Amino acid sequence: MAEERSGEDIVSEYLGQNPQLAQWVDTFRGYCESNKQWFARREFILRNMEAFPTVEPGVPSSSLDRLLSLSMVWANHIFLGCSYPQAVMEKIKEMGEGIVVQDAPVHKTRKDEVMSKGKRSATAEGDIDSCVKRAKCGPNELDSRPAGRTATRPVSQKAGPPPQAPAEHQPFFNRLYKAVAWKLVSAGGFGPNLDHFEILRSCVESCKQTLTCVFVPLKDITGLPAGRTQKEGHVCEIRCQTVYMGTGYGRDEAAARAMASKEALKAFQGRKVTVKICRRRYKGKDVEDLMLFDEQPRSQGFPPALSYPFQDEQLDEGSL
Amino acid sequence: MGVPAFFRWLSRKYPSIIVHCVEEKGKECNGVRIPVDTTKPNPNEVEFDNLYLDMNGIIHPCTHPEDKPAPKNEDEMMVAIFEYIDRLFNIVRPRRVLYMAIDGVAPRAKMNQQRSRRFRASKEGVELVEEKNRMREEIIQRGGYLPPEEIKERFDSNCITPGTEFMDNLAHCLRYYVADRLSNDPGWRNVTVFLSDASVPGEGEHKIMDFVRRQRAQPNHDPNTHHCLCGADADLIMLGLATHEPNFTIIREEFKPNKPRPCALCGQMGHEIKDCQGTAREKQGQHDEFADTMPAAEQEFIFIRLCVLREYLARELTMASLPFPFDFERSVDDWVFMCFFVGNDFLPHLPSLEIREGAIDRLVNIYKDVVHKTGGYLTQNGYVNLERVEMIMQAVGVAEDNIFKKRKEDDESFKRRMKEKRKRMKAEQQGPAYLTTGQFAPHALGRRDRPEPVQNARHQAYDMRMQSREQHNKDAAQSLKAMIRNGGNSSAGPSDSSDSRGVKRKAEDSDSEPEPEDNVRLWEEGWKQRYYKTKFDVEVTDEDFRKKVVKSYVEGLCWVLRYYYQGCASWKWYFPFHYAPFASDFKDIKDMFTEFEKETKPFKPLEQLMGVFPAASGNFLPQTWRNLMTSPVSSIIDFYPDDFAIDLNGKKYAWQGVALLPFVDERRLRAALADVYPDLTPEEVKRNSLGSDIMFVGKSHPLSDFIHELYRAETQEGTEIPVELCHGIQGTLNLDDDPILPDKPVRSPIPMLRDISQNSAIGVKFKDPHYADGFVFKAVLLPGAKIPNKVLKPGDWEKGNREPWRPQLGFNPNRQQAHLDQSGFRALGHSLNRNQHGGGQYSNTPPPSNYQHGNYRPPHSGGHQPFPHSRQNSLLGAPPSFHQPQYPRQQQQYGRGGHGWDRTMQSQQSAYQQNMSRGRGGGGGGGGGGGGYQQRYDHRRDDWHDRRDDRRDNRGQQHQGYSSGRGYPPPPPSRRYNWN
Repeated sequence: MAEERSGEDIVSEYLGQNPQLAQWVDTFRGYCESNKQWFARREFILRNMEAFPTVEPGVPSSSLDRLLSLSMVWANHIFLGCSYPQAVMEKIKEMGEGIVVQDAPVHKTRKDEVMSKGKRSATAEGDIDSCVKRAKCGPNELDSRPAGRTATRPVSQKAGPPPQAPAEHQPFFNRLYKAVAWKLVSAGGFGPNLDHFEILRSCVESCKQTLTCVFVPLKDITGLPAGRTQKEGHVCEIRCQTVYMGTGYGRDEAAARAMASKEALKAFQGRKVTVKICRRRYKGKDVEDLMLFDEQPRSQGFPPALSYPFQDEQLDEGSL
Repeated sequence: MGVPAFFRWLSRKYPSIIVHCVEEKGKECNGVRIPVDTTKPNPNEVEFDNLYLDMNGIIHPCTHPEDKPAPKNEDEMMVAIFEYIDRLFNIVRPRRVLYMAIDGVAPRAKMNQQRSRRFRASKEGVELVEEKNRMREEIIQRGGYLPPEEIKERFDSNCITPGTEFMDNLAHCLRYYVADRLSNDPGWRNVTVFLSDASVPGEGEHKIMDFVRRQRAQPNHDPNTHHCLCGADADLIMLGLATHEPNFTIIREEFKPNKPRPCALCGQMGHEIKDCQGTAREKQGQHDEFADTMPAAEQEFIFIRLCVLREYLARELTMASLPFPFDFERSVDDWVFMCFFVGNDFLPHLPSLEIREGAIDRLVNIYKDVVHKTGGYLTQNGYVNLERVEMIMQAVGVAEDNIFKKRKEDDESFKRRMKEKRKRMKAEQQGPAYLTTGQFAPHALGRRDRPEPVQNARHQAYDMRMQSREQHNKDAAQSLKAMIRNGGNSSAGPSDSSDSRGVKRKAEDSDSEPEPEDNVRLWEEGWKQRYYKTKFDVEVTDEDFRKKVVKSYVEGLCWVLRYYYQGCASWKWYFPFHYAPFASDFKDIKDMFTEFEKETKPFKPLEQLMGVFPAASGNFLPQTWRNLMTSPVSSIIDFYPDDFAIDLNGKKYAWQGVALLPFVDERRLRAALADVYPDLTPEEVKRNSLGSDIMFVGKSHPLSDFIHELYRAETQEGTEIPVELCHGIQGTLNLDDDPILPDKPVRSPIPMLRDISQNSAIGVKFKDPHYADGFVFKAVLLPGAKIPNKVLKPGDWEKGNREPWRPQLGFNPNRQQAHLDQSGFRALGHSLNRNQHGGGQYSNTPPPSNYQHGNYRPPHSGGHQPFPHSRQNSLLGAPPSFHQPQYPRQQQQYGRGGHGWDRTMQSQQSAYQQNMSRGRGGGGGGGGGGGGYQQRYDHRRDDWHDRRDDRRDNRGQQHQGYSSGRGYPPPPPSRRYNWN
């Protein structure tokens, strides 16, 4: 707050010393601008005048118009809640640094509005986030997915899940275990004729989480045994809260997902489920991954991971 | 004003202003369409002189219709527009003038609204696509089915803006259309056609008003011209009243709220995109033959008679014992002015005045209270008396506090009622906990299946008992299984619900939808302070700022009224805020406004495009111009945010909210464009220039030779239209550079339409009569104007002790009532095909077999009158009330005597016949016949059928009950039906 005072003080002091400049600057005030808005924008203009060396007080020029335009962009962003293309936003952010506006109005852009409206049942920000991602997460975008966003804890420098992750996730999967058990009971027990994905999805959602499904066309997977005749179809990997649950193959994406769900549900047939860190293959490398098991660890033949939510961005980019 | 609420309010309060259009449909014979002869008298029993089309109201529904599949390409759009105009021409049948006005560049005051609409449209388009993709993904994941995504270019409705190529093409197509109709359609032969395309500045409806105003101010104008203006905007009503022409009618599409729309995702009706399940499409009709037809009927038209509205207003506004003489015309102007407070295209409405809350009534009451003190009217000829307006505003301001409180109360009670209603509905849906089954299952009364005697009741009871026991068993087994499975380590015991998750409360159950938070809380103390803080971001103590807002608003009121009565006073002026002040803030406004800046010029079309388009619609602009909308180094980049906030401002839906868009700085816009002007191609330069209205006439029009002569003489200066040649219409003619001339073929701009080789139309540039600067158009009735006959029932009718009042339903007070003769009823009966069965029911002879075959054949359009809709009745010239008292009787007669042999008998011994048919019915066929009849007709009936069927059903029931003799009471004595 003190800084803001001083900022404004400096401006008025400066203008007091240069009455001509003050008069000239005041011609740019919009009719509808309140004092507060104008003082802030005036500061913006004055601070950035040096960056536009061709601007001469009292002389109209196109570079002056550019400065004015950017000052309006900045003011519109702060006071009206408008947003502009990325490049413009970055520029004004830089130019507006140091100018403090006290209790600027809060505006929701149209996008936020729709988001919160469309997803009424959504419980938390994260939920909305993941639902958007799920929509976007087609096979093509698989690799470009910013992995850091899924992880709720700070991403460690070293790629891989933090050591405390299994303990963090365990309570959730205990709850999920219960939900699945009851659901299966009501559906008449685990069997081949269930809609496995539906069961898994509804259980996960009843625990206030969402599933992440990643699809990869089979032909895009390298390093398969050479003798394979199957080239069509898709592979699906299901995760929940970054924890790997199952992989499945099918003719189309839906079938692959159903198969993956079935695999995932198998883990729930035991007396309990456990989250563990295990080594597995991912893009030809050995990585550490969070995986869900039933009580007796099964054979080591894990399918290679299709996605890897623990990388930081750089690594991800590098591996492309 | 785009306020649908205004029209709704008006038509509810003043119902008699609406007259349904009678439309003669073109017939079809052997696949050849026979056009309607529009030279015949108007079937609406009124003759119109001038028809004005506000074309934007036509272009929008024709290019992106909401209730039918969109046209595939631009050519189809043009044809749709032509057909629409044809349809209107057929209904209205103007005898003198057809004026087509397309929106040109609008005044700056309107630009803000256009801007906000276009930014929103573009935004909504993007969001719809996003939402679609998201839902699609979700549905497919859930295993739903969706038709493959159509790969079609979305028609960007933003191109309906002056200056785009589309509008240029449209102007060309309309020239062709006019030339074609003038040459080939006899109904057009003597009509003078004016085309004011998008290159002429001004909004369509205001260009029309300018034409009317300037014509009626010159001495040769016929004061009894009957005007008809087509358009759906509510402000056309204001404009029409503002002309003070006695015969002014508006024609618009019938307003049908909540028309069903297909889901954007799967294209099926009945749900919205967010509820889409992706289920397979239901068959439409037995063999899916109605697949592509919408259930809604073709949009019909209504007339709004402003002379009747004037009658209503006269009743409402007339004030006795005024300190000055009462002048109805002046009070109408004041009424129009007060309507502006409630909403218009140029100003946000005052927060305390909401049309749904009866704001206009409130204003009128205040007006009548205050006008005594004001000593005169609020307005004159479109000029506002601010001192008097201040008194009105202060009176509204006094009530403001209570209005806000009341609004909140109403809102709460509405919500409470809705909640209770939902609860009630749910309770109704749930049904009882236990239902008897089998023979004991409850049956609705009056269905086709009659109760059967109960057989073997014991066994049935046993079945029901066992069934419920089994259910219990199953439940128990399930919970037991669940217990075992969980091996005891689950603490949760088996619950009685088979679903252990418990039923989650749905969001709808809890306190309805999440309310958008309202920080202003107008109903609480300190509302003014909060309003200014949240909306304008200023303290309430900032008097200067508040004054600025009020001053702008006052200017706005003056500008709008002037715009309606005198034309555009300033092309530059606009209201530079997003919100209105409170009525109570209008203090000392007398000196806030003096005069507008003179000699302002409208924008050029492309400049205006830069002013109203979002960057996403930049493809309608030249490349370098487009760059200005996106480049970070552009000096006007601040005009083009890619996302913006919408303040709901106490409303419920986003489209009602305020889009917080920055305003355009005209100086900077012009400066930036100066650099890119050289980049325009010659074609673009042409599109960017201002054009002129064009006048067309056909060969047999008296003006045709005169104009032809001008072309032959190559007259360079403007020529006045000779008074006697064109019904007193005046104006200046100038030669067109690329004119349409008789015997010069006109090339068709649309591939599917033919060139006009035998053209007989002629076109010439037209300019409205010019008046000196400072000329004031008088808002008065012209001398010689005859006020049309009164339509409303005089208040003292009963006192006069005359015959019962007969309401007037159409334009003609002495409308001929049409009657059907025997053959008419026969034809009717045949195509309605229920009559035979009516006959079948009451005559005990089964209908001949050929009738049976005719049953489900669609009615022929040729020989028989189809009766798909109740109002089509008026085709026969009968007012709707007619068929209630008379028709059933006749019909019934016919029904009973459906076949010749029956009728003779009936006519001789009808009393006997009645008894006979009852008795015979009891004997056998009657009851069964009734059942069969109902079975056949229990589906797909519209209102009218319903009404009649009800009656029939009653009779059937009576009949049945009586005849079957199972202790039903005998039929009540029939009152309505005259059995003799």
